[in-house]
Amino acid sequence: MSSRAADQLISAAARHSGRWLWLLAVTALAGSVAELFLPMALGRTLDALAGTAPGGHGWLPATVLLVIFVVVCDALGVLSSGASGAHAALWLRRRVVGHILAVGAAMTRRFTTGDLVTRAGVNVEEAARAPEAVVTAASLVIPSAGSVVALALIDPWLAATLVTGLLAIVGVVRAFMRKTTAAAAGYQQAQGEIAARLVGALAGASTITAAGTQDQEVGRVLTPLPRLRAHGLALWRLHARAGVQAAVVIPLLETAVLAVGGLRLASGDLTVGELLAGARYAVLGAGLGSAIGYAGRLARARSAAHRLERLLTERPLSYGSRPPAGGRGRLEFRRVTVRANGTPLLSDIDLVVPGGCCVAVVGRSGSGKSSLAAVAGRLVDPDWGSVMLDGVPLPEIGRDHLRRAVGYAFERPVLLGATVGDAVGFGQRWPDAGRIHAASQDACADAFIRRLPRGYATPMAEAPMSGGQAQRVGLARAFAQAERLLILDDAMSSLDTLTERQVSRALTGRLADRTRLVVAHRVTTAARADQVVWLENGRVRAHGTHESLWDDPDYRAVFQGAS
Amino acid sequence: MRGGLVRIFLRRSLSREPYRIARLGAWSLAEVVPAFAGGHAVARAVDDGFAAGRPGTGLAWLALLAASWLLAAVAARQILLNIAAVVEPFRDDLLTHVVSAALRAGRDGDAAAVARMNHQVELARDAFGAIITVVRSFVFTLVSVALGMMTLAPAVVPLVLPPVLLGLVLFLVSLPALARRQRDFILADERTASAVAVMAGGLRDVAACGAEVRVAATVGREIGDQARAARALARVTATRTLSLAVGGWLPILLLLAGTPWLIGQGLTAGVVLGALTYVMQSLTPALSGLVQGLGVSGVRLAVTLERILGSAATPEVTEPRTRPEGTGLKLSGVVFAYGPEAEPVIDGLDLVVPEGDHLAVVGPSGIGKSTLAGLVAGVLRPAEGSVLIGGVPASKAHEAARALIPQEAYVFHGSLADNLTYLAPEAPAGAVDEAVAAFGLADLAQRFDGYHAEIDPAELSAGERQLIALARTYLSPARLVVLDEATCHLDPAAEARAEAAFAARGGTLIVVAHRISSALRARRVLVMDGTRVLLGTHEELVGASPLYADLVGLWADHRLPHSLA
Repeated sequence: MSSRAADQLISAAARHSGRWLWLLAVTALAGSVAELFLPMALGRTLDALAGTAPGGHGWLPATVLLVIFVVVCDALGVLSSGASGAHAALWLRRRVVGHILAVGAAMTRRFTTGDLVTRAGVNVEEAARAPEAVVTAASLVIPSAGSVVALALIDPWLAATLVTGLLAIVGVVRAFMRKTTAAAAGYQQAQGEIAARLVGALAGASTITAAGTQDQEVGRVLTPLPRLRAHGLALWRLHARAGVQAAVVIPLLETAVLAVGGLRLASGDLTVGELLAGARYAVLGAGLGSAIGYAGRLARARSAAHRLERLLTERPLSYGSRPPAGGRGRLEFRRVTVRANGTPLLSDIDLVVPGGCCVAVVGRSGSGKSSLAAVAGRLVDPDWGSVMLDGVPLPEIGRDHLRRAVGYAFERPVLLGATVGDAVGFGQRWPDAGRIHAASQDACADAFIRRLPRGYATPMAEAPMSGGQAQRVGLARAFAQAERLLILDDAMSSLDTLTERQVSRALTGRLADRTRLVVAHRVTTAARADQVVWLENGRVRAHGTHESLWDDPDYRAVFQGAS
Repeated sequence: MRGGLVRIFLRRSLSREPYRIARLGAWSLAEVVPAFAGGHAVARAVDDGFAAGRPGTGLAWLALLAASWLLAAVAARQILLNIAAVVEPFRDDLLTHVVSAALRAGRDGDAAAVARMNHQVELARDAFGAIITVVRSFVFTLVSVALGMMTLAPAVVPLVLPPVLLGLVLFLVSLPALARRQRDFILADERTASAVAVMAGGLRDVAACGAEVRVAATVGREIGDQARAARALARVTATRTLSLAVGGWLPILLLLAGTPWLIGQGLTAGVVLGALTYVMQSLTPALSGLVQGLGVSGVRLAVTLERILGSAATPEVTEPRTRPEGTGLKLSGVVFAYGPEAEPVIDGLDLVVPEGDHLAVVGPSGIGKSTLAGLVAGVLRPAEGSVLIGGVPASKAHEAARALIPQEAYVFHGSLADNLTYLAPEAPAGAVDEAVAAFGLADLAQRFDGYHAEIDPAELSAGERQLIALARTYLSPARLVVLDEATCHLDPAAEARAEAAFAARGGTLIVVAHRISSALRARRVLVMDGTRVLLGTHEELVGASPLYADLVGLWADHRLPHSLA
């Protein structure tokens, strides 16, 4: 069933290969038909020139023309197979990338970054070759089928010899196809695992450098290498077995046809030229042998398409088209439950945050704070329940409306954009310099950005930032974007106390017209907020002002750990 | 220099197991027996057998030919397996090189390295295998066909070999253009992969910014460029087919056109058939294999190898590391800047930290605290002045003597036990239990079914990752420990517990403070405020540094807001 989905993906890619696939089909067809006539022409030419059969002096020019035609078809076939593959890869890769973006953050729960890169890279390339491999493999059928007919016309005995041999080859191809798919999947899996391990290790580069454990890390990243090699060698062995069987079958077939043809020659039923033609037809007919190569490619393509299909079945985050209703950013959670691999991260959260209110979300590590932040602005949808902004369920709000209304700042922001200024205005369709500068000032990022070699125009690649600086740019990005709801998910953890105080002042000052949901560890943040939501094991333990909660020793323990 | 590296790599792969190459040669000889025997057998079968009215003789010759094909088939299998045995270790070498170069370069999250690794290594592996196959096959076939023709009928040689060689030359002439296109394609491919990697790494942020359309357009541009490069490559590749036509078809047409002349020289139709068999059955397939193989795989191998081996930073020559006598720290006149034109981050710093001291470093972010930590840990080198650990320059001190925990804790895919004993593989179970208890990791261990179950770092919170990094360093033999805001994701209680554990552990402890409370726990405090550096006890600094007083005041304001009310 899943392999059918993979085949459907391949055929969709074929439809998007455009006219190149048609050109490939036409040239492959014309070329193989011309090839079909070639042995006959060669045989006739030989008979005519060697004098083994009477007359026919026009055959040499005809053969020359036929050869030229075959060569031209071949060249066009090469061109169109490359171009159709490029078109199919273009379409497939755009679709995969578009889908990854549509699913968004939820994608990274299932697939690591390295795995996504492998799928959108190598796997797309392999799957995109499938339509071309199918056409080429199909065009191999014409000469082999046509050769049987041609042989039958020369001498039925030769045709019978060939058919017997062909049946043997088909069996080889089928057996090969099934086994390669399994081996290729194992190979790709090991490959993806190494990529994922390397991406992980690169994230810990500073620890590794300081500890001098590079060698150890190389070993660890390459742990799946023996498995990779085992799968690789298994592929080679399969290839060797199938290739050898074909290598025996094809020449033996030719020799058998020569033997039968020789006997017919001896009895005077065949000329030397016809024997040549017969031998060539036998080889052409056995051209299915090269289908082995295509079977290998097709098997790889199918297993790659299967990996793409698994990615494409992830449900995208669909958006409605409504603007949020008028309001000041009232946020409401109704029976919100979020699970990950069966364990509840949030259970039955019922919560109302009045518009324009600043709410601190506190709780010990693992209490569900980040999950709450993620569903509050719809980075992911809850498994059950709903979240509403000014009375409108988030999934009904249009993407642009929602993202303009909600801004996120993260503990470890990934800053995208060409320049630093672009990174701050990344969420905006028409970034406005004034807004970007103001937001940067609020986030205490303006001063350090101006000290960069080219200020706001400094390319991101030339602006290495510390964790705290990146957080400040991430905060500026959120400030510039959010019109109603600002969600800070531990976004000030790397700021020093002074900077944090300044940013907090902006939060309670210039940004006070927005609803603010602030996940924090610091007691100061909780103390400054209008309300505090205290999470414990994915549930709201208490909800109130910091003052009212402070008498509870368990609450103080969240900050002080004095339990 | 890159070319040199490429050659070294290839030579190493080919010479690693010389007996494999010898075997490959021997089996190749067996494989080309039909290429030598084919023309002879066919000519004899027709001339002495079938055409002469002796079908038995004809069949006998063909049976001989069939036997030689069987031998060739056995040889073909052995050849493929021997090639696999050369190619698979070659792939392993490349992967190892790419992985170690990426890790040694020490840059954070070089996504391009990963893209390079997967795709390019596979391309290089396939290309290397293909080249060995086709070059070997062409050389052996050409020689045995030439021998076969010379022994069968020397007169056909001038009709066959010159056009084959002409085709070969034409092909070699077209190679540079092909190489250029191939290189363009590979570069475009790499740009796409790195754009996808950036996108995949920032999915959450892209969604949060609603920038899906913009990112799709950026990545889409690279994808489009890549498709264009692929089409340009296909165009050049198509012209390559011409050289194949010259080398493959011209000999056949010449043989046919020359048939009346050959017959006039006294050759029989059977011999002409034999010569045609040589060309069609052996020479043309071998030449087409060579043209396709070298045209695609040769260029691919050269380009991918240059990229794999060339773009990776050359590994630094590792200096011999010295184990310092003690862990006392002495910085004198240290100057450090991140670029030749950038303002120095640290300018003329003098600092002495005696062995066993517990020093906190405080100051606003961006002031150079992490730079100081990097200098002490020997990860950064001062432009001027010296950083000595127990009298040994920090960059030359043995890694086991000191440990640096950065803000971004590193936890890898593996068991909790592996993560904890990362710096101390010999740590006894009791010590591990003690560290787990000291850092409050028992719950986490329970959640993951003990120490030996595989953990996925993405499933851990930032705080949990920091606890693991702390416990790991606690277990390590390092007597100089630098915590560079290594506790920033912990709650204050966990932070206090972690610092207390390190203080009790002995040795020298330097804490780049995330919270001012870290300074209160330290024996001495270093305040960096951008213009000057002050060193003293907490009590001394409250009076001496307005910045420090401000920081402490802020903290005190909020610590117990209600007990004051």
